[in-house]
Amino acid sequence: MTLLISSITMGLILSLLALGVLISFRILAFRDLTVDGSIALGGAVAATLLSAGWNPWIATLAACLAGAVAGATTGVLATRFSINGLLAGILVMTALHSVNLRVMGKSNLPLMKETTVVTLAQSFASADSRWSFSRWEMPVQDACVAVFVVILISVVAIGMLAFFRTNLGLAMRATGDNDAMIRALGVEVGWMKTFGLALSNALVALSGALLVQYQGFADVQMGIGMVVWGFASVIIGESLIGSKFIGYLLAGAVMGSILFRLLVAIALRWGLNPNDLKLVTAAFVFSALVMPSLMITVKKRFAI
Amino acid sequence: MLEIEQIRKTFHPGTPNEVRALQDVDLRIEPGSFVIVIGMNGSGKSTLLNAVAGSFFVDKGRLKLKGQEVTLWPEHRRSKFIGRVFQNPFTGTAPSMTIAENLTLAAKRGCPRGLGWALSSSTKSELRERVYAMGLGLEDRLDNAIGSLSGGQRQSLTLLMAGLLKPDLLLLDEHTAALDPKSADQVIRLTEEMIRRDKLTTLMVTHSMHQAAYLGDRLIMMVRGRIACDIQGSEKQRLKPEDLLARFEDLRREELLDETAAAMLQRQYV
Repeated sequence: MTLLISSITMGLILSLLALGVLISFRILAFRDLTVDGSIALGGAVAATLLSAGWNPWIATLAACLAGAVAGATTGVLATRFSINGLLAGILVMTALHSVNLRVMGKSNLPLMKETTVVTLAQSFASADSRWSFSRWEMPVQDACVAVFVVILISVVAIGMLAFFRTNLGLAMRATGDNDAMIRALGVEVGWMKTFGLALSNALVALSGALLVQYQGFADVQMGIGMVVWGFASVIIGESLIGSKFIGYLLAGAVMGSILFRLLVAIALRWGLNPNDLKLVTAAFVFSALVMPSLMITVKKRFAI
Repeated sequence: MLEIEQIRKTFHPGTPNEVRALQDVDLRIEPGSFVIVIGMNGSGKSTLLNAVAGSFFVDKGRLKLKGQEVTLWPEHRRSKFIGRVFQNPFTGTAPSMTIAENLTLAAKRGCPRGLGWALSSSTKSELRERVYAMGLGLEDRLDNAIGSLSGGQRQSLTLLMAGLLKPDLLLLDEHTAALDPKSADQVIRLTEEMIRRDKLTTLMVTHSMHQAAYLGDRLIMMVRGRIACDIQGSEKQRLKPEDLLARFEDLRREELLDETAAAMLQRQYV
């Protein structure tokens, strides 16, 4: 039960990453690799400010802003300097590795006694109170954290849903869908992409900040492969929901992230070597990308 | 409305692929006039439209819209004045967004876009009326993704979007060329209705001699990046497709003569 709850909580925290990737990957059609760097940046900023005794909310917000700056940098590189989007992301991601080390001062920063948003959520219950369901039991504190994360994700998702129905949000969606059209309607596509990437990476950094507070430590390596996790969540979400409408896409990304995390937990439980996790993830994303078109070819073969 | 002064544009200058797409083109268009642009492939007619729209900056010369110099304005800024329909029906609409959303985007052409609600129920009923007036039967499908529509339907909607805010200048770039004859007729009918009703200043490129002869009140023929003839007034009213074909034939012969003469002279003197 504890494992289940912790996987779901982890999945929810990482669903912020998935929502961020959804903005860049699906809405802006921009393959943004900054994510690997900006999730660690969010973690690094949050952990550093927390250990300096800052208010956890402000530390988390600062992490978001740092992520937004990272995303905007990628946007500026890609649109103002016409660097290929993938390369712009790689450049910023690489640079962020050093930035993160600078921010933390070392490669690993534990959070021991600091007040974090997670400990604030836990403080709604006493440390030794437990809920039991027949033979399973779980600490109430874990449930508090899960509920807190659910509320936070709901607020973010509803906010995004509302944003993508405003004039600005609509223009951003059109930027990814057909930039020639939206340019002819008076939108500066470069600025819109930069803004979208800032938004996307702010969410990713938020995810990193929460992850650090949940795990109790920040590590400069924590971002490696995270963009692929984001892709995996978005893709799983799409195949679960099967609709291109924005509300469904958002719900799908969150569900995809949770499901993916559960799959990982199950795989690890069944004896998957944790060292193989990234390889398996990559293979999984590969098959998810290739499967749909492969299925169509196969169907056509058999139809004839 | 539109003043073009001596504009020049060369693509890939200094390479073997150099194309002198526009060579010192001069053109003044009065408010409310409907100008047809024809010409053979590569004569620079689409380039002229793109230069006006701001898809690229011209190498030389000046462009004025509504008395304002816009030569160095980027495309998105010029969109305040310009409504545009492209040749490819897929270029003018965002496929994964709904009809209503696409129209809302067009309803904000050239305006700053803030955090206001894009689709209030009043905007929606207004849009429904506009779509109903087109007579395509799309008014009940406003929440369908535009990608599910046919090319003709998409082009009709693009036209509606371009004209939604009554642009100071409407640019139509062979907007019926990629459609089947029936859809093309329909789009042309809608185009004519809209231009007449809203008295739009229009610049329309076409390949169809029929459209060129019977639409518009002025006709420009482009040859090799220059305006070869400019037919207005009563002469334009009397114009028939056969006359245009005859002119094209003359131009073709002239060019042929150029080449053969050059070849002959080369043989004699080089």
